[in-house]
Amino acid sequence: MTLHRLFPLRLRQTIAQVRLLHGSGCGHQLEEVAMEPELRKETSVFRTQVNDPACQSERHLGQYYTLPTSHLHTIFPHGLPARYQQQVKTFNEGCVMVRQPALELISYLKAADYSKPAVRYLLYGLKGSGKTMSLCHTIHYCSTQGWLVLHIPDAHLWVKNCKELLPSSYHTSRFDQPIEASNWLRNFRTTNERFLSKIKLRQRYTWTKRESTEKGSPLGELVDMGVSRVKSSSDVVGAVLKELRLQAAETEESEGFRLAVAIDGVNSLWGRTTIKKEDKSPVAPEELTLIHNLRKMIDNNWCGGAVIATLSQTGSLYSPSSAYLPKELLGEEGFDSMDPFIPVPVSNYSEKEFESCYLYYLDRHWLQHPHSESHSPQTCILVWSFLIPYFN
Amino acid sequence: VSASSIGRLVMLFLVRWSRYNPYYLEPEPRKELYNMPETELTTEQKEERELKAVRPIKATTNSTTSSVFNDPVLSKFVNMMMRDGEKILARGILTQTLESLKRKQVEKYHKAPQGKKAEIECNPYAIFHQALENCMPVIGLASIQKGGKFYQVPVPLTDNRRRFLAMKWMITECRDNKNRRTLMYEKLSQELLAAYSKEGNVIKRKHELHKMAESNRAYAHYRWW
Repeated sequence: MTLHRLFPLRLRQTIAQVRLLHGSGCGHQLEEVAMEPELRKETSVFRTQVNDPACQSERHLGQYYTLPTSHLHTIFPHGLPARYQQQVKTFNEGCVMVRQPALELISYLKAADYSKPAVRYLLYGLKGSGKTMSLCHTIHYCSTQGWLVLHIPDAHLWVKNCKELLPSSYHTSRFDQPIEASNWLRNFRTTNERFLSKIKLRQRYTWTKRESTEKGSPLGELVDMGVSRVKSSSDVVGAVLKELRLQAAETEESEGFRLAVAIDGVNSLWGRTTIKKEDKSPVAPEELTLIHNLRKMIDNNWCGGAVIATLSQTGSLYSPSSAYLPKELLGEEGFDSMDPFIPVPVSNYSEKEFESCYLYYLDRHWLQHPHSESHSPQTCILVWSFLIPYFN
Repeated sequence: VSASSIGRLVMLFLVRWSRYNPYYLEPEPRKELYNMPETELTTEQKEERELKAVRPIKATTNSTTSSVFNDPVLSKFVNMMMRDGEKILARGILTQTLESLKRKQVEKYHKAPQGKKAEIECNPYAIFHQALENCMPVIGLASIQKGGKFYQVPVPLTDNRRRFLAMKWMITECRDNKNRRTLMYEKLSQELLAAYSKEGNVIKRKHELHKMAESNRAYAHYRWW
């Protein structure tokens, strides 16, 4: 099937005008835009057969690669955004677009020195621009390279709507969240099955007078204990994080591993919570065991891995909806803890990416209007969605 | 109706529902009809064009557009679903219904074997129109008084009345017979898919009306129009 040139001159003029409208704020006149003169000779290709993130390069920008179904269930039991999961169910396959922020991150991870302290990367951008999907792309890369992935799908869920809040047994002023902790441990177990028997504990952990986990026992035992004994699951999470932090520093020869800490919505760690104590006073994030342990994970005092974080305004509490920059969302305290970090901006779709997305939807029989092949509905979609990935 | 909305209504001049003089013409929102060259027009269309040059035209409603996505049947359906003037909510429900219809059909399409793929209809607009057509009754009943008693007489229905009955039955069925936890768009999409394959409660209601009309065939001569 020969793909005709989908962006004729009239449409390109519309795109340029839309760009002006969007970029210059409200109430400005449309100016005459100089039109691009030449025909675009190359045919558009929207799929690539290179399914391994390590082999992808700039040549594959804007193209979709398929996530194998086995990887979808093991690596991402809880990681993908809800809309994307719906899409995977409808199209019967999971396809991710190769975009510039994810490729940049992967190249940094390839080039980093892992004997030095962990580098922190922060993905930021406007709402719906593709931060979580870029994070998932990077996690796929880390998994295929054999790293251990600690993925917290949405840190905002840990600071709001907590059904059960128990006072911590380990530290009297802190609070435990058993349900969230046990859910996370279950998903952690699905993701990292092969590491559970290889990593041995360096320390003895006592949970109650009669129960304890001995030194030298495999990590799997600790995780199973956390899943079954829901009351102490938050402390188990803390223990797991500590062990992984200490053991990630070892070199590759002596059966070491690299640790990737991936946190979505990292700005919730330093914000406010909506959880209240029994006397209706608000709980600060430091008083929650899970948040306290996560903060220790983000500090760059350990080696042998990387921390990849995403800012998110959508689930965050008490932050204005127009805020998207790191300084605004992290706050003073957060910025000081994350500093120094490598910021990676994530932008909306470019024209090439939009075209690729449009072709993908045509291929998957998602665009059903009889005029889909011609450019009139395309103009409509373009203008209404303002090239935002979430609305595509 | 709140005080602020009363104030807003007073500022707008509502022309649409006022009694227009009969020589006002109906507006035509579709773009293709204006782009047709002179040669392709029939004599009636040529006369219409000449009339439009002299006569005034009624104002359109706010919900009509000249885009490809404008559909008069869908607009009517939205208006019938609307309650307390909340058009945005009704239109949102309809959009969600169409999306969920498309999702279910596309999922079935991708899971079907190669031979069966061509039979599955994925276009939600086509499914909606076909489902409505399947629900439209062919004959209706009118209550006619003769000799002191009222008889249910079988009577032909106009197209508008048939369309109205189909939409009304669809909406009442989805409002009344659903579980408390199911949302309107889910129930609507289930009913539309059932009507598309000629099953479901709305089709049953249409068949019951047909049966009543058939059983009252003897009174058909009471109709005088």
